[in-house]
Amino acid sequence: MWKIERFPALWILPALLPVAAFTIFPIAHAFWTSLHQVSLLFPIVEFVGLDNYVGVITGEYFVRALKNSLLFTVSAAPAVVVLGTAVALFLKREFFGVEVLRSLVLLPWVLPGAISAVLWVWVFNPSWGVINSVLRDLGLIHSEIPWLTQPNLAFFSVTVAHVWTQIPFTVILMMATLSTLNPELMEAATIDGATRLQRLRFIVLPHVKSIAVVLLIYNALTAFTSYDLVYAMTGGGPGTATTLLAFQIWKESFSMYDFGAGAAVTFIVVAISGLLIVAITRALPSGIFKDA
Amino acid sequence: MALRRLLATGAMVGSAMVGSAMFAQPSAAEDITLEFVVWNYSLDTIQDNARQFEEANPGIKVHITDYTWPDYQDSMLLRFRGGTPTDVAYVGQDWLPAWAAAGFFAPLDDIAPPDVLADLKSDMAPFALSDMTYKGKLYGLPYYADTISLLYNKKILADAGITVPATWEELTAAAEKLKAGGMEHPIAYEFDQELPNFWDAFVAQSYGRGGDLFDADGKAIFDNPDNPAYKQLEWLADAFKKGLVQQETHESKSIPSMNAGKNVFTILYNYNLAALNNAAEQPLAGQFALAPMPGAAHATLGFTKFYAITAQAAADPARAQAAWKFVNFMDGKPYTVAKRWAVEKGLGFGQLSLFDDPDVQAAWNKWVDSAVLKQQVSSARNGMWMEWTSAWAAYFRPLLAQAMVGESSVDEVMKAGAAKWNEYRDKMAKN
Amino acid sequence: MRNARGYGSGILTAIGAFLVLFFTVGPIVLAIAGSVIPDRIMFASDRGLFDEVTLENYRYIFTGEVPPAYLKSGANRTMISDAARQAPRSLWNSAQIASAALVINLLLGAPAAFVYARYLFPGKRWTFMFLLLAPLVPTIALITPIYMMLQTAGLVGSKLGIILVHSVKALPFTVLILSIFFRKMPHELFEAAVIDGCSRVQEFTRIAVPLALPALAATGLFAFMLSYAEFMFAMVLSGEASSRPASVVMAALARNPDVSWSLLNTAIVIAILPTIVLVTLVWRYVLADLVRGAVKG
Repeated sequence: MWKIERFPALWILPALLPVAAFTIFPIAHAFWTSLHQVSLLFPIVEFVGLDNYVGVITGEYFVRALKNSLLFTVSAAPAVVVLGTAVALFLKREFFGVEVLRSLVLLPWVLPGAISAVLWVWVFNPSWGVINSVLRDLGLIHSEIPWLTQPNLAFFSVTVAHVWTQIPFTVILMMATLSTLNPELMEAATIDGATRLQRLRFIVLPHVKSIAVVLLIYNALTAFTSYDLVYAMTGGGPGTATTLLAFQIWKESFSMYDFGAGAAVTFIVVAISGLLIVAITRALPSGIFKDA
Repeated sequence: MALRRLLATGAMVGSAMVGSAMFAQPSAAEDITLEFVVWNYSLDTIQDNARQFEEANPGIKVHITDYTWPDYQDSMLLRFRGGTPTDVAYVGQDWLPAWAAAGFFAPLDDIAPPDVLADLKSDMAPFALSDMTYKGKLYGLPYYADTISLLYNKKILADAGITVPATWEELTAAAEKLKAGGMEHPIAYEFDQELPNFWDAFVAQSYGRGGDLFDADGKAIFDNPDNPAYKQLEWLADAFKKGLVQQETHESKSIPSMNAGKNVFTILYNYNLAALNNAAEQPLAGQFALAPMPGAAHATLGFTKFYAITAQAAADPARAQAAWKFVNFMDGKPYTVAKRWAVEKGLGFGQLSLFDDPDVQAAWNKWVDSAVLKQQVSSARNGMWMEWTSAWAAYFRPLLAQAMVGESSVDEVMKAGAAKWNEYRDKMAKN
Repeated sequence: MRNARGYGSGILTAIGAFLVLFFTVGPIVLAIAGSVIPDRIMFASDRGLFDEVTLENYRYIFTGEVPPAYLKSGANRTMISDAARQAPRSLWNSAQIASAALVINLLLGAPAAFVYARYLFPGKRWTFMFLLLAPLVPTIALITPIYMMLQTAGLVGSKLGIILVHSVKALPFTVLILSIFFRKMPHELFEAAVIDGCSRVQEFTRIAVPLALPALAATGLFAFMLSYAEFMFAMVLSGEASSRPASVVMAALARNPDVSWSLLNTAIVIAILPTIVLVTLVWRYVLADLVRGAVKG
């Protein structure tokens, strides 16, 4: 790593400035809003201190939504990384039709959330969905399984759909990383009598660890802050079974006309996302933040 | 290397696209261009209506922006907060008080000629008139006005030897009988707690029983176990518990399910009956009918979606007049556009005289018994539309859903809902 | 390619391939089936699904010719919507917006990623941390302020506004991913270049970029896909129907009760077909190199 004495503005600023412009003002705006009464219903804008935060945290939905979001994050993010890695390892092998399969695996990635939601509703719909129809035709069930309307099943279904949409990106990055693996190492290990499992454990996994952490963080953030697919499938219900915290930002602001409370949820979500990042990097030290 | 060539070509194509995107701005016209914002139900009909208006009114152009129904309220708030030019927009009865109080819209009384307005008002269904009025002023003319009703499959019911239920208890009995006969879920229920419809349908059912959800001072009283809403929520929780109900996230999903003969009853906006009985797409078309809302009163909720003129447009006299011309074209006499919605799509109307229009009758007789419908519409009551109703309903709908699926008790939910309503009410009184 | 594995392994491979195929492509096959089966067959319990396979929905979307079932008497025109006819056009709009985001991301992101990966300099740590943390803020929280900013700049209702937001949303990821790739390049190459008297710009353009081409392509595609699939900003910032990207048009269809199930599925298939071409190209030209590179060593 070489040293430069001056900040390389020409190299960095073209990327940094636009990001700053689209982050700092909006965050400052949101922070100011979170400390004020900003509501369509009560037009007087006044400083209310932490009232919005208190109101949100003591609100009816908060604990449940937080629990849901965390559960959603810790189920979806590792599932995406593990499945994505497994698929990447599998697709690196050569067999008949693998080229086609490699292309098709990317498909879920390019579908807008609205389309994915439609497809998965078709899979899970209790009355005319595919799963229930198939199970019924096979004689395995006699009454419909309420995939989207029973609280636990609904949570499971939306998690599956979310994982589906996120896997391709992981597959691509994993395959790119796997391709940088030195084949001589593998060769040598094979000669030394290492089993396939041992090679995976001692050569492949250490090699992909840093990208896996990046992917885990990325997926955790995606899961913790996204809600569109889930809402298109269940509307957050039934009841609060699939209500996610990130959606409450939107709901407080636009359905309940309380922009102050919405901004307060924002900072709660941001704080928890930060904690998530720290937790993940602590749990899986990999050095990606070293000399960064 | 193939990759490098592809990248180079990609970069060139990409830059060309950036270029073309940058210069693809619409050019400004000299005419007045009205910014008209709608939700996208049958967008092609809306566009066609606007084209007809443009032809009849040279010098005025209409530019339509559409959003989906679930995104509409949010998009409108963004437009207003961002100051995006907007002249005429669809508004719902539940949003009007908050949006009018916030100064987004201007009363028609300030813009339209009083005699024309008085003439239109005299022909309007009382619930529609009230839906469009805030603090004594009229804010719009109806795009459509409709009620929520009990829709059912008359063939299956007749085959099973069941009479049309007149009370909720009879409905339960009928559903239990059908379930015993092998139908898994005799009742299809639109179950999306994020849609305003979810609260509206609940109110409509409670109105069937008669009585009020709020007292004369506008305080919530539905936490009283004798209140019709309380009873109705108990009824719903019971029906869910007995496994009589099939939840569908949207009316568009209930329609095919009913048409597969999987359910016999549903509670939906009337126009869904037109879709249920639509011979082009639905295998059981013709088997569906509308019944008065069960309960002692047989009353239901009426609601109105309407065209309103923004305060922004009203501030500029020329623009305000153009906007009024457009609204009057869309809904003034001779009701051409309202009639078109009724005939082509089965949307209800706020203008009572359209009931006697031969074209409307001819079209509607294909899918509904007009006499029953007219009776149901005449029993329609207004919702309790205060400035905070829409915000409060967003809070309350998930609670309602919880009580239905048995995650919370009816009592807890009704108490929490009433407390929150009264909290809003008190806070509003202070401001 | 070595293949010393027996039949058992072959069967396992086949099963694995089937599972992957089933999970990724299954839902999409449903859409294709749904697009050719009219609703009246689909939802009738007593009819075979493939009794009346028809392309009438495709014909409607491309030519505007209303399916004959709607012209029968007694049929009102609900469930057929002109909105579906926007689908082909919206794909072109999406392609424009997403390509622009791709180009902007590589142009702005690659140089920054390069210096982050290979140099120490004052301000490095906190600016990089800033880039890492920027995407932490949930999109929904940014919508109101960004909408207001773009409204002031006159960019609401134009593709340019969407391009701007999509580019900036992807930039932190572009910088992060590319810097990881740049760091993995052998140090010796750059040392040799410096000894040869290469400037930093030359190191970047002559060594780093050519070596990182697959990574650049993959990362650029990431920006492309992020833009292609993004809905929230696209929805609030897009203008009239003819200039909307596919995500917005498809959401409008999916959430519109006025659209029949088969018509919705037809629009979905039309939206998916070009993306199949896209992913095939991606593999053929970009990712295949990655895999092959590994096999060759």
